[in-house]
Amino acid sequence: MSKPVRVKIDWVFFKNLVVRQIRQDYLENVTGFSWLILQPLLLLAVYAFVFSTIFKARIPEAADIGFVPYLAVAFWPWTAFSEAILKASNSITANGALIGKVAFATEQIPLATVTATFIMHMIGYMAVLIVLQLMGTSIHWVYLLLVLPVILLMWVLACSIALLTSAIQVFVRDLAQILPPLITFWFFTTPILYSSSYLPESLQTLTQWNPMAWFIARFRELLLFGEANFDYKALLMVLFVMVFAWVSLRFFRRFSGHFEDFL
Amino acid sequence: MDTLVRIEDVSKIYPRVHKSRERLQAFVSLLFGREPAQGAKVLSNINLEVVRGQSLGIIGENGAGKSTLLKVLTGVIQPTSGRVMVHAKIAAMLELGAGFQPDFSGMDNVRMKASLMGLSSRELDERLDDILEFADIGDYIHEPVKHYSSGMVVRLGFAVITACRPDLLITDEVLAVGDESFQKKCIRWIQQYLEQGGTLLLVSHSMYVVQKLCQKALWVHDGGIEQCGDVFSVTQAYLAWHEKRNAKEKEKQIKATGDGAYYRIENFRLASEGDDKPPKFAMGDNLDIELEIYSPDDRPPVGVVGVIRADGTPVYGVVSDNEAVAPLKLADHYYRFRLRFTGVALLPGSYNLSAHSMDPEGMRVFDNRQMAFVITGDTKEVGYIRLPHEWMDQTSE
Repeated sequence: MSKPVRVKIDWVFFKNLVVRQIRQDYLENVTGFSWLILQPLLLLAVYAFVFSTIFKARIPEAADIGFVPYLAVAFWPWTAFSEAILKASNSITANGALIGKVAFATEQIPLATVTATFIMHMIGYMAVLIVLQLMGTSIHWVYLLLVLPVILLMWVLACSIALLTSAIQVFVRDLAQILPPLITFWFFTTPILYSSSYLPESLQTLTQWNPMAWFIARFRELLLFGEANFDYKALLMVLFVMVFAWVSLRFFRRFSGHFEDFL
Repeated sequence: MDTLVRIEDVSKIYPRVHKSRERLQAFVSLLFGREPAQGAKVLSNINLEVVRGQSLGIIGENGAGKSTLLKVLTGVIQPTSGRVMVHAKIAAMLELGAGFQPDFSGMDNVRMKASLMGLSSRELDERLDDILEFADIGDYIHEPVKHYSSGMVVRLGFAVITACRPDLLITDEVLAVGDESFQKKCIRWIQQYLEQGGTLLLVSHSMYVVQKLCQKALWVHDGGIEQCGDVFSVTQAYLAWHEKRNAKEKEKQIKATGDGAYYRIENFRLASEGDDKPPKFAMGDNLDIELEIYSPDDRPPVGVVGVIRADGTPVYGVVSDNEAVAPLKLADHYYRFRLRFTGVALLPGSYNLSAHSMDPEGMRVFDNRQMAFVITGDTKEVGYIRLPHEWMDQTSE
C-alpha cells in the first residue's frame, strides 16, 4: 500500500469553510443573521410555555431557580453538540464534488461543520443567558470563564465523533438513518430534561459513564449555582477526550485517502 | 534536474462499490489496513517523472486513464500500489469550478478557491484586481455562481489559477469550454507561464493545443503508457493509430456481408453471350441484370445497382425505391429485381458492376457484390460515358 500524500490543514481555508457553513444556513433568510438570536429566544419561549404552564415541571433541588432556566442552561450546549454531529456526519458525502477534484485535508470539512454549528449555537446561548438574567434568574457570569474551556472540551468531543461518523457514512450510507434515533436516545438518557437525582441508584452509576452528563452537570453548576466542582473526574474527562480525539483522527485518516473511490 | 513529480510503478484499481455489502466489506478491509476488493483496473505500472520547466501533454482515447492519472498525481485519489512523490506547489484544474458553491457570489467563491489553493488573505487582496481583470466577467462577479454560464465559470476558475503562480499547473481538458478569445487568452497566459519557467501537465483531445503548448507528449492507452517522447512524433503516432482503428471499423462493417448480412444478396447475374471472363460487351449493347435478395422478415427489400470504373471511380448508380420499383416475390423471403441498361453508353474499358441490398426503408446497406465486365469498342472519345450529342450543321447559316 502506498503512503498517502499528506496535505496539511490550511487555516485560511478552514476559516472560509466555517464562514461558508454559517452563511449557507442563513443565506436564504430575509432577516439573515438575526435568526441566530431570534430562533433560540423563540424556542426558549416555547419551552417556558410547555414546561411551566402545561407540564408544570419542577426540579426539587432547583426549586428557587425554576425549571426553564434549569433546562435552558443545559439544552443549548446539547443542541449544539447533537446538531453538529448530525450535520457533520453528512458533510463528506455532501462535499463529494470538491473532494473528487481538489486535494486537501478532508478532515477540515467535518471539523468546519462542527465548528460552525457550535459558533452559531453559542451566540444563541449567550442571548438565552442574557434573557434569563433579565427575567430574574441570577446567572453567575464570572463562571463564564470556566464554562468556556468546558465548551471547548465538548467541541473537541463533538469533532471526534463527527470524524468517526462522517468517515463511516461514506461507506455505510445507512448511518444517516441510524444516527438521529441514536442521538435522541442519548438525549433522553442524559439528565437534560430532568435531574440525575430522579434516576434509580443503578442508572445513576451508569450515567457517570455518560460524558454528556458530566458536561451538562458542569454547565448547571457553574452558571446557575455558582459552584466549580472540578475534581479528578475533570482530569479523567480531559484525558479521555484527548485520547478519543487522537483515535478518531487516526481512524479518519485511515479512510480519507479512499473517500474518492466510494463517493 | 529539478524533479517536481515522480511516480513509480503506480497502479490504480478502483474498488467495487456498487452493492452496499461490497461497501461494508471495503470499510472493514480498510479498517484493518487491507486493500478493498478490487474492480476495474484503470492504471497499471505507470512510471513518470516531471522536471521543472517541462511541458507535457497527456493524450489518449476516452477511458484510457488520463484523468485518473492526473487525480493520482494531484493526490485526490490514492494509487493502489506504487509511489507518488510531489515536491511542488500544484495548481490543478481537473474540472471547471471545482469547489465553487453555486449559491454564493463569484467573489465569495474566488476567496474560497484561492484559500483552497493555498493563497493567504493578503496575497489574495493584492492579486484580486488581476483575477477580476483576467476573468473579465464584469458585474457578474457579485451574482451567485449558479447564474453563470459554463464559460464564465471556467473564466473565473482559470483566473484564480493565474493568481496562484503554481510550480506545476495541471489542467484536464478545461480550456475547451471558453470562447475563442478566452481560449486564446489562456493559451497566451500558459505560454508566458512556461517562458517564466513554469511546468505544465495538460490533458487535451486537441492535438493543436498539445503541439502548441507542450514539448513532450505522453500517450496513455488502456491504463499504460503507450508512448512518451517528443510531442510531434507521439501525437502523430496517436493520430495514425486512430486512423487505423477507424479503417478497421469500416472493414468490419463491410465484412458483414454474405451469409452474415441481414438482407443478403442471394444472386447477382449479368446476362452475357459467350463464356468470357470477365464478360465482354460492345458499346451500345444492353446489360441485363438480375439481383435476388433474401429478406429475413419477408418485406420487400431495396436494391441498388451501379457501375464503377476499374480504378474505383463511380460512374452511375440507381436505387430501386427512388424510382418506386418493387421487386418480384419469387418465394417466401426471396425477391428479385430485373434491370436493363439499354444501349449502354459506357466508353470501352474495364468496369465493375456493383449491387447492394438495403432494408425496406432504404436506410442501411446490408450486403454488396461486385462483378467485373469489359466494354469493347473502337472509339477515340475520352471519359467514361458517351453523352448523347450532335454536331450542329452550320452550312445553312
